[in-house]
Amino acid sequence: MTSAPIRHAPAAAGTLVYEGTGFAYPEGPPALRAIDLDVAAGELVLVIGGSGSGKSTLLRCANGLVPHSSGGRFSGSVHVGGRSTRTHRPRELADLVGFVHQDPEAQFVVDHVETDLAFVLENLGTDARAMRRRVEEVLDALAIAHLRDRSPATLSGGERQRCAIAGALASAPAVLVLDEPTSQLDPQGADDVLAALARLNADLGTTIVLAEHRLERAAPLADRAVLVAGGAIAATGSPGAMLADYEGAPPVTHLGRLLGWTPLPLTVRDARTHAAAGAPPLVPPAPADPAHGPTVISARGLSVAIDGHSVLQRIDIDFAEGEIVALLGRNGSGKTKLLRTRAGLLRSAGGTSARAKSTRIAYVPQDPNSLLFASTVAEELTATLRLLDRRDPEAVEIWLQRLHLLDARDRHPRSLSGGERQRVAIAAVAVGGAEVLLLDEPTRGMDAMSRAALEAAIRTHAEQGGTVVLATHDVELAARSASRAVVIGDGDIVADGPARDVLSGSLFAPQVVRVLPPFLTVDEVARSLAAVAAATRGPGA
Amino acid sequence: MNLTRVRPVLVYALVVVVGAAAFLWPFFLAGHALPNQAHSGDAPLWAALVGAAVVAAVALEVRQGTMTGTTVAMLGVLSAAAGLMRLLALPGGGNGIYFLVILAGVAFGPRFGLLLGLLAMAVSAVITGGIGPWLPFQMLALSWMGAGAGLLGRFTRRLAPSAEVGVLAAYGWAWAFIYGAILNLWFWPFQVDGGALSYSPHLSAGETLHHYWAFYVASSFAWDAAGAAANAILIVLTGRAVLRSLRRFAGRLDPIVELEPLGGTAQPRVREVVPG
Amino acid sequence: MLDTVPAAVPSSDLSASDRPPLHAATWIVWAAAAVVSVQLAPNVLYASLILLVTVLVVEVHGRRTGLARAFPLFVALGAGFGLLRVVLTVATTHGIGTPLATVPHIDLPRILGGFRVGGTLERQVLGQAVADALVIVVVIAVFGAWNAVVSHHEVLQSTPRAFHELGLVVTIALAFVPSTLAALRASRESDRARTGGVIVRRGRLVRHAVPVLESGMERAVALAESMDARGFGHRPSGRGERIAAVATLGGLLGLGGAFVALVGGAHLAAAISGGIGLMLVITAIASASSAAKRVRYRPRRLTALDGRVMAAVLVAPLGLAVISSLGDHSLTWVPTGTSLPPFHPLVVVMLLALTTPACVGRAVS
Repeated sequence: MTSAPIRHAPAAAGTLVYEGTGFAYPEGPPALRAIDLDVAAGELVLVIGGSGSGKSTLLRCANGLVPHSSGGRFSGSVHVGGRSTRTHRPRELADLVGFVHQDPEAQFVVDHVETDLAFVLENLGTDARAMRRRVEEVLDALAIAHLRDRSPATLSGGERQRCAIAGALASAPAVLVLDEPTSQLDPQGADDVLAALARLNADLGTTIVLAEHRLERAAPLADRAVLVAGGAIAATGSPGAMLADYEGAPPVTHLGRLLGWTPLPLTVRDARTHAAAGAPPLVPPAPADPAHGPTVISARGLSVAIDGHSVLQRIDIDFAEGEIVALLGRNGSGKTKLLRTRAGLLRSAGGTSARAKSTRIAYVPQDPNSLLFASTVAEELTATLRLLDRRDPEAVEIWLQRLHLLDARDRHPRSLSGGERQRVAIAAVAVGGAEVLLLDEPTRGMDAMSRAALEAAIRTHAEQGGTVVLATHDVELAARSASRAVVIGDGDIVADGPARDVLSGSLFAPQVVRVLPPFLTVDEVARSLAAVAAATRGPGA
Repeated sequence: MNLTRVRPVLVYALVVVVGAAAFLWPFFLAGHALPNQAHSGDAPLWAALVGAAVVAAVALEVRQGTMTGTTVAMLGVLSAAAGLMRLLALPGGGNGIYFLVILAGVAFGPRFGLLLGLLAMAVSAVITGGIGPWLPFQMLALSWMGAGAGLLGRFTRRLAPSAEVGVLAAYGWAWAFIYGAILNLWFWPFQVDGGALSYSPHLSAGETLHHYWAFYVASSFAWDAAGAAANAILIVLTGRAVLRSLRRFAGRLDPIVELEPLGGTAQPRVREVVPG
Repeated sequence: MLDTVPAAVPSSDLSASDRPPLHAATWIVWAAAAVVSVQLAPNVLYASLILLVTVLVVEVHGRRTGLARAFPLFVALGAGFGLLRVVLTVATTHGIGTPLATVPHIDLPRILGGFRVGGTLERQVLGQAVADALVIVVVIAVFGAWNAVVSHHEVLQSTPRAFHELGLVVTIALAFVPSTLAALRASRESDRARTGGVIVRRGRLVRHAVPVLESGMERAVALAESMDARGFGHRPSGRGERIAAVATLGGLLGLGGAFVALVGGAHLAAAISGGIGLMLVITAIASASSAAKRVRYRPRRLTALDGRVMAAVLVAPLGLAVISSLGDHSLTWVPTGTSLPPFHPLVVVMLLALTTPACVGRAVS
């Protein structure tokens, strides 16, 4: 069966049918309730919903990982290509369903790309010649032939994830299930992965079920979107219709909703068409108030070298009180290095730096998992205070509340979703009372709810006289919260100025500015609309 | 008698007996029992061959149970961590490998402890380039340590956490000596020169034991004592937190699946228990 | 996460692209031949010759990896170890040879072994101790060389299929080594970052270890899902597995029987029982391997070159065994005086057979 060429997967094999599927993890509340879903062969279905909505569980039912690998109570049925997951375990569905996980690092069995691709074929007992050919085919299908002899540890996130998809695809499954495959990737890596998926769906007719939060790229590819909430399917329909009321929709969709555009735009391109057809009268936003407090950290001629390799070259930079600064730049440009130097984790090779005497600096690393060790969220915060020899129960409450973690205070940090963990890590560092907070890629893997909480918390911190520095790929985060943006390229500062000026440049433009310049965010447009409305109502009243 | 029931027990018992015999032969094989006295120096290599055969037997026996992705992946991750622990510069020669094997054995049971002992040693041998005839002995000794910890864990899990950690620290402390003594034993007979510390095929069991004890005291007692202390301290310091972390994943190792009957309201649960 | 990939990780040792010219199995045969040879001919001169052969082999075939570079360290470790044993033996063995010198001594109490440290240092004891220590150094050096020349990736690939699952664990573990190191570094850094650079030693071990362990276990669960989804899973079934199970038991009984026979002094019975035991274990491995319905992807096969090298290398132990059975005393000569060690040109020729792999250039890859 496995020796058939990839393209000729029988049509019926690509169907995926949930009938009254329900599930609860061992000793847990129901995670899925009475799911009915029918995915046709060749369809690309987008699954959306917040963290903890049951998306991941829903996807894991498709090849029997739930309940066979997870354990738990399962009711109803799931049939894939006519086989029931009640009677077939994941390994008996490996020829029919491919599964890709969000963590690109945790999917490699062998430390060699080509051998890893053959893993599923070896398990299925495919004969040697067919195996050889299939591996060559998937190497080409995902355009990773040049990576065949590499170790996955040396690849970028996007490359790793494409190799993982190839590994899932090697058995020529009719259905491919992907759980947030781009959430840990930078924008370039994410684009590469989604483009590869689009090609697979179009060229090979593979049925794809995709949970994804980069909706601007993913939604246009999908035939249908399914909204999951509270373990049940809340709604299903065309991607446009589904995103109309969805909190996590891309900024252009929110903009379209605000301005009453129909059909709602999903991409910048759609939105531009609407905007060209007629934008409402708007007053341009007032230039940002450049008045900040005194400088708290300054560096002159700062250089950093790692292993004799120069990563930052004679940088001059100041951070002032009350500022939120976004550091932008591609991977490896030196943003993280700059933060880590400021946090005292990397030694600078030259230059002088000064900070106001009493200023304390704290750094939140990119991976929250490297920080979390306590058994409850609240304990995680008090641990920091204990390390600093302080008792400050109030600070704990303040930060739990600011980052919307009050409900999770007694839960195990590791039982939370990625976005929630990131917030716990930020709270655990910030509770120490440092005036300057350095956040490294804080929104990675976050859903809309977590992002909103984070943005509010950093704004509050800045308003109370603190300073926040964000190293991020997320231009929307920069547009919504930063007062100043700094672009770093190849170890140099390329641009430094008010966020609006820097972000309006073509490279790092957020979606709204590309549709309605000079507005950066939907909120700004809304405020402007309100101002215009007040002005027109004013004289008439 | 049901052979399928008795066979695994018999195999594991024989593994311990034959493995121990391969370690301890200098004590019970008097000089006249050795086939060729001129080549008694070869005996350690024959013992290593028997040790390798015993390791192979264990490896074949664990196949008779189910190996799921979870078992394999968890063993992989933990043996990587344990293998790296061996590189730590601890007093007593970086034997940080023991502490994780003991705690994982306690958290996940004797079978897992046995496998982790075997594999952690194999991984650390690959990392440090330490593959040689001594490896089967190291693997067996560590796997017994892990399996013993697994059996011990069945009792200690009923204790208060601090008492449990205390018992395990004592177990780790004692095993550091046993492990050291067993490992010296494999190369000890290489040297045959009639000294007060040396093996000689002409000695009686009692004399051999006495000579070996003298050798052990002179060569590695202090070293192992430092290792044992490091072991106990590591377990005392981190035991509670590490056990708590590991036990969170115990349910994954043998998932209990309950399938509710289709469309039925009655609940005769189909319990599918994967043998661990 | 993307910029935390460590610069020098052991995994780079395992890249399959750098294929050594000889199969790992050939190297196993070489190492076994060298170790058996040194056992048969522990004459200081012959043992030193074998040591030189290992150095030559590493010189020609050593892979440019961390492990290969560790070879001199390995030999130094073995030498230090041997030296320790020489000192220990000379200081504690008395009354069997010509005294060289006398030093102050102490007698230990019976509970600590009851032996004398110091006293007379004797020539014969020194000679014997040096000869014995050299054998240990050579055994360690041979395996050090083996570790330096083989690709461990290939060793794992060529384990019998019966051990596939366990080999896979080792493979996965090796792939996890770099990420575990990176995680350890990250958690150390996070711990400092959390307090704004203040280093708190109290309880640091837990704060460093727990995040690494938890992240590792979470990753194991994710990897397990990926493996299950890719068709992994072994359940014993079929006749081959049943034969293997019975043969394993039989093999252990045979080995146990051999020990019992040895205690009773029945050498022939011990040899037969032990032989049957080993054969049964090998049978079990073979039948479990053939029962495993897996196909290896691009396995490395033994070539004619491997066969020739193996045959040439085996000349050394086989030839020495013949010479030994003819009663040549030069094989086991021990330095006790000032006379030069005797040597037999034929033995030297036999030992030079061990250099055959060094004659096969790297260029074959």
